Amino acid sequence: MDNLGKVMRVNLTEGTVKTEDLCEKTVREYIGGRGYGTKVLYDEVPKGTDPLSPENKLIFANGPLTGKAAPSAGRYMVITKSPLTGYIASSNSGGFWGAELARAGWFMIIFEGRSPKPVYLWIKDDKVEIRDAGAIWGKDGHEATDDLLAAVGDSQAKVVCIGTAGENLSHIAAIMNDKTRAAGRSGVGAVMGSKNLKGIVVRGSARPPVQDAEGMKAALASSMEKLKTNPVTSQGLPTYGTAVLVNVINQAGGYPMNNWQGAYFPEADEQSGETLARDFLIKRYSCFGCPIGCGRVTKLGEKIGEGPEYETIFAFGVCCGVAGLEPIIEANNICNELGLDTISAGVTIAAAMELYEKGYIKKEELEGGPELRFGSDEAVVYWTRKMGLGEGLGKKLAEGSYRLCEMYGHPEFSMTVKKQEMPAYDGRAIQGIGLNYATSNRGGCHVRGYTISPEILGLPEKLDPIDIESKPAWVSIFQNLTAAIDASGMCLFTSFALGADDYGAFLKAATGFDYDGTETLKAGERIWNIERLFNLREGLDPLKEDTLPDRLLKEPIPDGPSKGMVSRLGEMLPNYYKYRGWDEKGIPTAEKLAELGLN
Amino acid sequence: MIKVLFFATIRDYTGVKETEAEGPGTVMELLTELASAYGSAFSDEAFEEGEISDRVIIMVNGRHIAHTGGGNTPLKSGDTVAVFPIIGGG
Ligand code: SF4
Repeated sequence: MDNLGKVMRVNLTEGTVKTEDLCEKTVREYIGGRGYGTKVLYDEVPKGTDPLSPENKLIFANGPLTGKAAPSAGRYMVITKSPLTGYIASSNSGGFWGAELARAGWFMIIFEGRSPKPVYLWIKDDKVEIRDAGAIWGKDGHEATDDLLAAVGDSQAKVVCIGTAGENLSHIAAIMNDKTRAAGRSGVGAVMGSKNLKGIVVRGSARPPVQDAEGMKAALASSMEKLKTNPVTSQGLPTYGTAVLVNVINQAGGYPMNNWQGAYFPEADEQSGETLARDFLIKRYSCFGCPIGCGRVTKLGEKIGEGPEYETIFAFGVCCGVAGLEPIIEANNICNELGLDTISAGVTIAAAMELYEKGYIKKEELEGGPELRFGSDEAVVYWTRKMGLGEGLGKKLAEGSYRLCEMYGHPEFSMTVKKQEMPAYDGRAIQGIGLNYATSNRGGCHVRGYTISPEILGLPEKLDPIDIESKPAWVSIFQNLTAAIDASGMCLFTSFALGADDYGAFLKAATGFDYDGTETLKAGERIWNIERLFNLREGLDPLKEDTLPDRLLKEPIPDGPSKGMVSRLGEMLPNYYKYRGWDEKGIPTAEKLAELGLN
Repeated sequence: MIKVLFFATIRDYTGVKETEAEGPGTVMELLTELASAYGSAFSDEAFEEGEISDRVIIMVNGRHIAHTGGGNTPLKSGDTVAVFPIIGGG
């Protein structure tokens, strides 16, 4: 297992760094990344741990393929107990940082405790130092990145850090790497802030070896062919980025408007990928080793930034009733700098707009800031900044939509699952994605089981979005496959062209273990179940919490192509539990746990 | 009148974002009309061996035609037809 790298354990309370060997059995069973990290968290973080206490652990984990020759394999995961949901957090990011960590010879870093003062970690191959970050604390992520690179005297090093949002313990704070890539969701940035850890700078000089170089070559040849000929990975994503989805989701009547008060936006084309490409795009951006290059480098005025992604356009755009791309790009840049999750930030502003328009947030609380009205460009930009800085009402917004709405006595306006904001698809119009949100282990999330692919885009099969019979099985399989891909170090977007067998071939070559498609899916299922066990141990009540906001269950979509629809979650959930081998209360059965080696 | 909307690379073939059609009773008839109006770049994308190709997503009033009868999906005045290339994202 030496070729995968070592495990670093950093105790920030004591200021110590230890090196450990990887556990071969854990790699075989949980792959790495999201899987290996969750296994460590499950074993080491006891029930009831306060997510922002020194007892929580913060894990950065590569997959066996991170930094290797497999396509789009520059990804790492952050695993911790989430301050937003109180359950498992596992956030994925690309860019170049994870690959650099692999080049330095590390598979994973486990942070424990809390530093008495702000620090950063400097990793140069096997040399590791905990250094003072007093002069950098308080800076935004972009300034901090520049300062950290200057401090280590190596402009080629890679930086992961938090901005002010993470320092202020915002429940929706992201961890940023390479300035513009985010391990965004579930408030992982607040956990980093709670540990007084501003950043991790890494520089590696080795080329990470693989177990079976010939096997890797063969897997690469067959996968590259598929990626090059698949219309999504060879044309759609490179040309328009993820924002190409705006029009198609809107036309399907599943584009959530004004905090899910509608699902069709007549002005959608103004914020589409087509408009972004025409008016703002300068060039594409590719993460480490990625032949797809879905990233967008955009220019607004004199400012050059990266993004916005489809999800961000939804969150600051349609969800807040805003049509034009300028304020969306500006809010996106603010989130990248201050370190906020764009989905949670935009959806929280949308909730605040509903609270304000319905008279629950009072004008005095705005302290002269722009009124929180749907459609206000100014409000979106202003309140995003306030949220990232934790100032005035922005401090309340930085708690996320659930806590905000609860503070005002109206949790029904919070469009969250397990207290995490839902992304850009309406589960009333698209039934499978609603089931996926409701059952996602990290709360409202599309990239746990992306059924939009078969339900709207017709890939790999054309499923009817309003059908409910087929969805429990599809959601389960997609969730399992995604867990395995997240554990591997490859990007989920490769799955538009690749299948479980392809990932199995890469994993086999990298680890030497007998992975194939079936074993890869089995590992994914194991990961899904151990995440579930983590949540159950933390007190998850499935029958109350595997659900959607009442708005999606009871308020029919008012107009547009999906007029009249509600989510039929109640009919799908029992079949989902059954398909997963869980009991009718949503608890994995003893037989299922034995089958997965989890008993 | 049937409203027809074009998106993403399909706009490169049509040169317009939308048009209107009067008369076609089915999606197949509409696409055939569009193919003669916009030429081979459009028809190469829309058709494969005489059938509607898998490289396009066609929705009638928000419903993918795979679930409404494919090329035989009936059209009537007031309908909106959206034509996309195969796309993805997340
Ligand atoms: S597909 Fe996009 S997000 Fe994924 S690795 Fe490539 S550039 Fe990064």
